[in-house]
Amino acid sequence: MSSGVKPTEVLDVRGEVCPYPDVKTQKKVKSMKSGEVLEVLVDYPLSAERIPRSVEKQGHGILKVEKTGTGEWRILIKIK
Amino acid sequence: MIDTSLMVSGLVVGVIFGFVLQRGRFCMNSAFRDIILMKEYTLLKAVALAIVVQMIGFHLMATMGYIQLYPKTLYWGAMIVGGFIFGIGMVLAAGCASGTTYRVGEGMMGSFVALLGLMIGGLVTSEGALSELLKLKSSTLVTTDYLGISPGPYVAPKSNKYEPGLTLANVFGLDLNPWIFVAIVSIVIIAVLIWKRGGEETKAEGTWYEKIFKMGWNWWITGIAVGIVGIIAFLALKTYALGISGGWFGFLNALVTGDPDKLNWFTFLVIGVVIGAAIAASIAGEFKLRAPDARRLLQQFIGGLIMGIGAVIGTACNIGHILSGMPQLALSSILGGIFIILGCWVTAYIMFMRG
Repeated sequence: MSSGVKPTEVLDVRGEVCPYPDVKTQKKVKSMKSGEVLEVLVDYPLSAERIPRSVEKQGHGILKVEKTGTGEWRILIKIK
Repeated sequence: MIDTSLMVSGLVVGVIFGFVLQRGRFCMNSAFRDIILMKEYTLLKAVALAIVVQMIGFHLMATMGYIQLYPKTLYWGAMIVGGFIFGIGMVLAAGCASGTTYRVGEGMMGSFVALLGLMIGGLVTSEGALSELLKLKSSTLVTTDYLGISPGPYVAPKSNKYEPGLTLANVFGLDLNPWIFVAIVSIVIIAVLIWKRGGEETKAEGTWYEKIFKMGWNWWITGIAVGIVGIIAFLALKTYALGISGGWFGFLNALVTGDPDKLNWFTFLVIGVVIGAAIAASIAGEFKLRAPDARRLLQQFIGGLIMGIGAVIGTACNIGHILSGMPQLALSSILGGIFIILGCWVTAYIMFMRG
């Protein structure tokens, strides 16, 4: 892994439609403990931009937003 | 068959519109739903700015004599019921009429299925088994003649095809001075946008080429671009600005009946939107054929059907009412738009926020 951070959990929401990637990410983030890292795999462009924005607004850290392929992104979230 | 020049202009405006929609991620279902679901206002700001740009643009062109306004005829019951039904449908379909159309160009098969539902629901309501529902239109019609007011010089006159719609301006006796409303609404919206600015800009750095073709646009660029496309559309068509659902209904109608006269300007516009969005998505490296699971596909199909039924009852989708009708100050579109938003909120609450 290029960032050197090992995710605690992985959430794969590829294929999901608006707003499920966001809703499922929020649910997962709430269930995790402080300091843990969540990796979200998403292939919906709007959510790839909206998830980091809304998660950051809640005070969690965004370690990385990486485009991993055609229409696919990987988002690393550090839980506050 | 419609003129070749209209076909070409519809297609060209559509390609530009599709490009802008895809780059700006412009979807009204997200814009309205996210207010209650995520306290996210980015797309809402883009919608508000697009309305202001068009409101000023349409009235400027009407003042200069390039166009006449065509606010939709008011059928208050149909606008309320059709708008609410459409709002329910767009949450289930995971996209409004324009959002669904541009996502087909991104390769999203769930949106393709929703689009098939939209076309079928529309045709069944306009020509088929559900056409009884259209009685709601005739029974709740309110005209300028009925109220004894003048539609005013900015609104197109009555003809066998058009019954002049009520606008904020002509209802309040300002048919000669609609600019008073244009100015008040524009100043209020722009003041709120400036007051609530910040926080939503894309922070990523890049060259101009990357900012236009590779990254999602900032909301204000999207809003201005959508507004300008709407003004170009009105200049091209002369009788209305942008619309999505009517184009798809005409497409399926022409296929089913074999009658090319069922194709309209909007049919070429929506085909252009799919092409424009596919071009934009391909350049950005975002085009990918993808599908959700079976349950979600069914949900999106049903959502599309409901949207189609609502759009025909309410005489327009989110684009026809909110993007094109509200800037003309049409009461029909203001009412339809409000109930689209209410339908969206009730459904989003039930689906995502309970428990």
